[in-house]
Amino acid sequence: MTAVGERLPELRRTITLPDMIAYAGATWDWHRLHYDPDYLAGRGLTRPVVDGQLFGALLAELVRGWAGPGAVLTRLHLRFAALVFAGETIAATGEVVEVDGDTVVLTLKVTVADDGRVAVHPAGATVVLVAP
Amino acid sequence: MLTEQLRAQLGREVVYTAPEEIGRAAIRYFAQAIGAVDPAYTSGDDPIAPPTMICETNQYANLPADADGYPGHGWHLDVPGARLVRGGNAYEFHQPARASDVLTVTWRLESVTERVTGGGTPMLVVLSTATYRNQRAELLAVNTETLIYLGGGA
Repeated sequence: MTAVGERLPELRRTITLPDMIAYAGATWDWHRLHYDPDYLAGRGLTRPVVDGQLFGALLAELVRGWAGPGAVLTRLHLRFAALVFAGETIAATGEVVEVDGDTVVLTLKVTVADDGRVAVHPAGATVVLVAP
Repeated sequence: MLTEQLRAQLGREVVYTAPEEIGRAAIRYFAQAIGAVDPAYTSGDDPIAPPTMICETNQYANLPADADGYPGHGWHLDVPGARLVRGGNAYEFHQPARASDVLTVTWRLESVTERVTGGGTPMLVVLSTATYRNQRAELLAVNTETLIYLGGGA
């Protein structure tokens, strides 16, 4: 029985440069911010920047993994709060804030595990659960 | 920052239809790239895509890469001296996209608002929506995207 205050199992992921290259290829997004040292240096950055949209995908997987097969993710929103760089480890977390029948509203967050800075906040999702 | 030229672009729409179906291989590649292990993404005759995939891929746009290497939709707004950053996304998912779906995506420039950051930096907040439909005109998802042009040399 899902109740307000329940926390989702944390999703932790180290995002390496090869991971970022795979994501760039898989999304047809070859923006230089995600891999090009000269481009980055011209913008005062020393490490490739993780594509923020990846965090949307990871939050969707966090929610789907917790909600189980058959559950339907109907809404997801996220706001980018800080850049994340190649090689950093992120932790995606969530908590139930509202339960209305089968419909559950979650608040979500992505932090950088290495130093605790908040990468994505506020964020949240709505998921419709199915009876086990 | 909010000029008449920018204001005149409100309500602009651009429609893209993908040159091919999403495809099983593209879904498997995306799932692998995000570390997703749900068998629904790879099994059956017509697997589903991870929910945000159609909102993240530029496959449907079929555009050449710009000077930054980006081959996706953009409004190419002229905001001199400003730095463009992503603000966020709000997704509504209406039904899963499938490997056999051919996407038609309608981008609309909804609003451009001038604001000031907490630190006093002027910025333009650009709100767009992208509506994703398949070849049967079934609504798959709506993506409301916020882009921010930071001014003042920020």
